[in-house]
Amino acid sequence: MAAVVESDPDRCGSEEEGRGNDTEEENIQPPGPIVAPQNRLVKLPLSRIKALMKADPDVSLASQESVFIIAKATELFVEMIAKDALVYAQQGKRKTLQRKDLDNAIEAIDEFAFLEGTLD
Amino acid sequence: MAERPEDLNLPNAVITRIIKEALPDGVNVSKEARRAISQAASVFVLYATSCANNFAMKAKRKTLNAGDVMAAMEEMEFERFLQPLREALEAHKKGLKGKKEASEQKRKDKEKKTDTEEHDKSREEEDDEEHMDEEQEAENEAEEVEN
Repeated sequence: MAAVVESDPDRCGSEEEGRGNDTEEENIQPPGPIVAPQNRLVKLPLSRIKALMKADPDVSLASQESVFIIAKATELFVEMIAKDALVYAQQGKRKTLQRKDLDNAIEAIDEFAFLEGTLD
Repeated sequence: MAERPEDLNLPNAVITRIIKEALPDGVNVSKEARRAISQAASVFVLYATSCANNFAMKAKRKTLNAGDVMAAMEEMEFERFLQPLREALEAHKKGLKGKKEASEQKRKDKEKKTDTEEHDKSREEEDDEEHMDEEQEAENEAEEVEN
């Protein structure tokens, strides 16, 4: 059974590393350091990412680092797909990104093949 | 109370912010496009997790680790993410713990300086936020925890 420890979703930067092991540990939150918003490493809440990961029945435990990296990768993914879809909007001389631009990007770009048939 | 993967969405505000920061000024995003991107992001998490987990299982580990995720990125043909992910992970590790101690030390050092420099203090402090990471390397050496 996976141990799910929820940390404060907004303070990703204050989660502590599991000491010496990879299992999910109690998150000891040091008193908040003064960090300017632009210094924050990841914007997506790690708790939500973790919850998504746990939805997979084959996943038992995930290290905090792995949750962090998946969160960061997801942000990079969002940036990438938005930019790629924009190309199609611009081709259509539009300044507003629309659903069909997403669909076009998904169809055209190999890396997005996994998305085919998954969106409503 | 079981949540289906499809029900777990990422916060709209955060997704919107990431999209806006990625696109040039003046570009708008329709609600439907935003929703689709958000859904795609959730699917990405699920797919990446499943992929990473395969690597963990192959290595007979029960715990998914950072290396598994990196391997998954490569498998998914997102090699372009590898370098930024490695850098983010390093920064993440350095940023944990001791950052407050470092900033407190900095302040004490500052107080030793003469009063005439007080005017520059606030500006210097901002720079110090960034230099902090480098200076901490020595402090954190002993605490380095890696997979």
